[in-house]
Amino acid sequence: MDKTTVQELIQPTIKARNVDVYYGETHALMGIDLDIAPKTVTALIGPSGCGKSTFLRCINRMNDTIPSCRMTGKITLDGEDIYSKNIDVVQLRAKVGMVFQKANPFPKSIYDNVAYGPRIHGLAADDKDLDEIVFSSLQRSGLWNEVKDRLDKSGTALSGGQQQRLCIARTIAVNPEVILMDEPCSALDPIATAIIEELIADLKERFTIVIVTHSMQQAARLSQKTAFFHLGKILEFGDTSEIFTNPRVEKTKDYITGRYG
Amino acid sequence: MPHNHILSSFDDELNDLRARIVKMGNLVEKQYQNALRALEHKDKILAEKVRKADRIIDVMDAEIEKQAIQMIALRSPVADDLRDIVSTIKISAGLERIGDYAKNLAKRVSVIRHEEAISVSSAQIGQMVTEISGMISDVIDAYITRDIDKAIDVWQRDKNVDSIYNSLFRELLTYMMENPQYITPATHLLFIAKNIERAGDHATNIAELVYYINEGELLALKRPKDDSSNYAEIDAN
Repeated sequence: MDKTTVQELIQPTIKARNVDVYYGETHALMGIDLDIAPKTVTALIGPSGCGKSTFLRCINRMNDTIPSCRMTGKITLDGEDIYSKNIDVVQLRAKVGMVFQKANPFPKSIYDNVAYGPRIHGLAADDKDLDEIVFSSLQRSGLWNEVKDRLDKSGTALSGGQQQRLCIARTIAVNPEVILMDEPCSALDPIATAIIEELIADLKERFTIVIVTHSMQQAARLSQKTAFFHLGKILEFGDTSEIFTNPRVEKTKDYITGRYG
Repeated sequence: MPHNHILSSFDDELNDLRARIVKMGNLVEKQYQNALRALEHKDKILAEKVRKADRIIDVMDAEIEKQAIQMIALRSPVADDLRDIVSTIKISAGLERIGDYAKNLAKRVSVIRHEEAISVSSAQIGQMVTEISGMISDVIDAYITRDIDKAIDVWQRDKNVDSIYNSLFRELLTYMMENPQYITPATHLLFIAKNIERAGDHATNIAELVYYINEGELLALKRPKDDSSNYAEIDAN
């Protein structure tokens, strides 16, 4: 059986159908259809203002917090409509975690930063259980060896790259299914970026990852699938290896090769 | 033609790389004209000039490769830019090989002595050189103008080179059977012809690369292969 047929048999984790988003009068997304496969890294690329972050924020209903924002269409997670009335948004955001451009640890200890989510969601039976979750999350985010002796120190005292990994540890502590990342490395130096990229490559064994990035090289290095957004539409979606060697759409080619479109 | 890059210095570098290929192609083409003239007129000085000029081609190839690798490292090209730069390295290497065959032709000028064998065969060698020169010039043209039709045309013309080679092969065998004195010059002429036939294969490769740069796919047609000398037999009786 060839690769594509296997891929077709796997049900996508996230399915977007005919998604339109408006900010007041502004039509930010138009007719977005996208299938996001489980346990893969999907990169959303495109020029500023193309709607890629808006789409990312639709997946865990972050746009609900913006009063002027209105969405039509349908997004499902494992077949369930995430905009249905029965959905508990807090539960949804535990299932679909998010990592932002600027690391935003709580002004609390490293331990409490990671323990926060499991505590409010009641994921730990006792203190020993909570320790277990915190330690394993820090290990999986590659931060354990650097912080194991100072778990009571403030999370904000860490370096930028460490703070971002702390935020990733905090996200995976509640055992999400999907991790959304909005330019997670744009404020980091190349070494910290490489460490996070290595981490993302590991995380995709357990999680479905959707990443917005302005770095073409990062999208090429990290993702298996790439969607190119332009003026609120997806112009091209496919295997990253194909998009970066032989894009089918002229606009995609112009964008990734740095040409005037 | 594709749009310009926002970073115009990248376009400048790409244009420079292409200009180098054109220069190299022109020189290789000229090598064949000169090598043929040296053969026809038994001009050893001209033959020596061809041999020396081959070193320039080698240096050009090394420089193109160096520049292309630098561009890959510094520009991180993708899509058609990446195909273009990687293929240019291969095109340069192909031209360098084609150039080697011209040098080899020139080398043999001083050892081919038998008048008769040369005069009858050199007309066909001349035809092969004309074919190969045209192929080089057209394939470089196709590379610069991104003209796929022209590339496919060059690709198909390889069979003309092969068919002249096959007929020359038979003819030289006949000479050798008729008169053992012809064996030495005819063997040299056979090598010359075989080399030009190989040069045709390299030109065909370049045509395939031009197609790949443009289309992002390999030329799917069946390759024109018409060198039947591999299967030739002679009846010694």
